[in-house]
Amino acid sequence: MFFKSDKKSQNQIDGFSHLGENLRFEGEIDCKGEIEIAGKVKGNIKAKKLRILETGSVKGLVQTDDVEVLGHMIGNIESQNIYIGNKGVIRGNLHFENNLTVLEGADISGHVQKNKKEKAKRLDTDKVKYLEDNRAAS
Amino acid sequence: MPSVILRDTKLQGNITQKDSITIDGIVVGDIKAEEVIIHENANITGNIMADNNIEVGGQITGDLSSDRIHLNNTAKVKGKLFHKNLGVDEGAQLEITSSTRKKITNNNKE
Repeated sequence: MFFKSDKKSQNQIDGFSHLGENLRFEGEIDCKGEIEIAGKVKGNIKAKKLRILETGSVKGLVQTDDVEVLGHMIGNIESQNIYIGNKGVIRGNLHFENNLTVLEGADISGHVQKNKKEKAKRLDTDKVKYLEDNRAAS
Repeated sequence: MPSVILRDTKLQGNITQKDSITIDGIVVGDIKAEEVIIHENANITGNIMADNNIEVGGQITGDLSSDRIHLNNTAKVKGKLFHKNLGVDEGAQLEITSSTRKKITNNNKE
């Protein structure tokens, strides 16, 4: 029985992990797939895809491929793609490689920097400008 | 909404959840919740304290305390159990000391 399930676990996983609203966690998260946070997390997060929901709050360093921030985030983000929703709050630096998306209403204070890769440079500098304007406005 | 931790996820640290939590991944640290459900791919090192119910189908090294504890046939448990009701399925691999209490207090409520 055990071995059977072990074989299965090598295969792909449907869905994603979810940390609910009523959850509090202190420590490190290491996720090879997708994870959604609606609760409070203190500590560093490594994931392929991370989504911080509106009720979610994260304190710590985030290292991901894709990150979506719809809630609160204190700490630096290192990710290929960053998306910040209109209710997103960020206190910390953003390092991204491909795309940065910031919706109107997002609250950001911190440095924004693009690392490596030269693709779509112009587009991104426009976005950075927009972001800085946004920061000045808030 | 209750929490779900899948088997591609590893958590290191303490978890406090006010309702139910389902774990199929790796957790190193203590878990406090109302209800804890552990699936067969899970591997937990740490103590689990639940108010109502612990359902075990995976590997645990640590102490369990809950009103009701149920160990499935895929369970592998090493540690101490404190419970009001204990259920064990055929096939569970155990290395435990268990004790029945009239009252389980976990002080999970804040």
